[in-house]
Amino acid sequence: MDTGLVLQDPTSQLVMERVEDDVAFGLENRRWTRSAMVARVPTALEEVGLGGLGRRRSRRLSGGQQQRLALGGALAPRPGLLVLDEPTASLDIAGATDLMASLAALREERSTTVVLIEHQVDRAWPMADVILALDRDGRQIDVGAPDDVLARSAARMRDAGIWLPGEGSRTKLAGPGDPRDRTGATDPAVVAEGIRFGYERGEPVVRDIDLVAAAGERIALVGPNGSGKSTLGRLLVGLLRPDRGSVSLGGDEPSRLPAATLARRAGYVFQEPERQFLATTAGEEVRLGLTPEESARVDELMTRLDLPLERFSGRSPYRLSGGEQRRLSLACILIRRPKVLVLDEPTFGQDRTGYEGLLGILRDHLDDGACLIAATHDQRFVGDVARRIVTMADGWIASDETAA
Amino acid sequence: MIAQRLEVGDAQLDSPLGRTSPVIKLAIAVVWLVGLALTLHPLPPLVLATAAIAAGLALGGVPPRGMAVTLAPLWIAALTVGISNMLFSAANADETSTTLLAVGPLRISTAAAAGGIAIALRAVAIACVGGVFALTTDSTRLADALVQQAGLPARFAYGALAAYQAIPRFSEDLATLRQARRIRGLRGGWHPRLLVGLLVLAIRHGDRLALSMDARAFGSGPRTHYRPMPWRAADGLVAVAAVAILAIALVLGR
Repeated sequence: MDTGLVLQDPTSQLVMERVEDDVAFGLENRRWTRSAMVARVPTALEEVGLGGLGRRRSRRLSGGQQQRLALGGALAPRPGLLVLDEPTASLDIAGATDLMASLAALREERSTTVVLIEHQVDRAWPMADVILALDRDGRQIDVGAPDDVLARSAARMRDAGIWLPGEGSRTKLAGPGDPRDRTGATDPAVVAEGIRFGYERGEPVVRDIDLVAAAGERIALVGPNGSGKSTLGRLLVGLLRPDRGSVSLGGDEPSRLPAATLARRAGYVFQEPERQFLATTAGEEVRLGLTPEESARVDELMTRLDLPLERFSGRSPYRLSGGEQRRLSLACILIRRPKVLVLDEPTFGQDRTGYEGLLGILRDHLDDGACLIAATHDQRFVGDVARRIVTMADGWIASDETAA
Repeated sequence: MIAQRLEVGDAQLDSPLGRTSPVIKLAIAVVWLVGLALTLHPLPPLVLATAAIAAGLALGGVPPRGMAVTLAPLWIAALTVGISNMLFSAANADETSTTLLAVGPLRISTAAAAGGIAIALRAVAIACVGGVFALTTDSTRLADALVQQAGLPARFAYGALAAYQAIPRFSEDLATLRQARRIRGLRGGWHPRLLVGLLVLAIRHGDRLALSMDARAFGSGPRTHYRPMPWRAADGLVAVAAVAILAIALVLGR
């Protein structure tokens, strides 16, 4: 029987330069005749909502379109079994909704068995005929019809760190009325005035943005993929220098600060932990560039992040689990206690345990009065953490409001 | 962005030279280079460079500006090679050679100058031929032609093509790693550790790409072709014209 596979990261699944060639790739390998391919490729693209885009270059598509292209490529040979591994993890809300709509249409046809591996169950649960819940070691907790599984094993699934449909987090950050809630505070931690930035020869990704973030504020940066959230975050902490306008971080232009000074005023945690690791062991990783005083705090912080040095010190950062990598990348930044903390998609690929752990860490850190700015698609995280929501669209700030 | 630099435009792709078999174009480039090695005369490289540029402009649909932007840095590199050959030639130390120019301790003999010019011209010709090939050859079509016309294993050709698609990603990885160093208070610039990080990321990416290609039945045996690449009469015509141009160039350089 033919099978199809769709992975988390759309860019590592695209083989050919153009959309139709990529869809045809799996058909060529399965020795379809040319006439059959010519007939099938456009319909496969139609099925995933990419009709008419066959001659486009796949790199130019949005993340959501790329992921639907990967789905189209997997579906083109009409596989009997389709496996999707967290296909919406890197997509914005619109992209995830479209992809799930494609899957719902596929389900209506009843011609393919679909296996969907997913942490965020709210969208997937209603589409499932069978739920298989696994614990951290891959052992089966329960299997069966969704309602039966929920009735039988809700508690055990919760304990194993699995989200249940419609369930929120048990860890909460300070809300309105709490003395630690600093919404409305006025001493600015970082100020951006009319900043604009474009990558080499491209259109500006961030256009004339003004933003004041006060100490103790918790801001969610939301908006579709490519709206400029990550770029704005990097501008605010001086990892990029604006083409126009200015940023002030504690009175200085952060992109001109010496690295050692910058690292103590601001922190930035990248979306993919693997792309920011710089050492061969986790112990070395967290100690990179620390002062003796900061080094003395390593032991305690790592224990609090559930990465005790006695077990993790000698391990390669690349061989940790996704959740451990995320916590290690946070540790590397939090150890210097930066006053401004920018996180890029902090809940990416996290199960419930990882999520609750992250919230706990942030709560401890933010109670010291640091300012948090998080670029995220995760509605749950926005609801649990943010006191102010800045929505970006096409490089602009489309709205800036206090969280309800 | 790097992504754009790797792309061949649709106008070039649909031009007569763009539709010519990449295998033929590759063969022409190799034969011309071998031909250049046969002579030290300045005319043949000039003829071939001019022919390549003319073909790119007239038959390849390359806009003059695009041609200039691509070739200028290659020419500068070629001239640098020529000048350093002129300066450091052994002939300069030979007391019996004729002096062309002497500035302080620096002495350039006529033999060294002639050698330097010959090398620079050949490097310019190589740059023009290579540049026009790159500007009119789509990577997908190159892989198709190598498999269907030159009989290269599909595993190699399409594997290389997929890796080629990932080049822009590596430059993003490098930028991210450098930013990661800065935000951790480490000094900027180059550090050997960056290479290790890049290598790890490249291997990881390759792993995932290979998995996704295998999942689409790549390498499971002979495959069919969505974009057939038959030999065409025009390919023969281009080949004959190229050989004729080389012959003329070599005759002029006798």
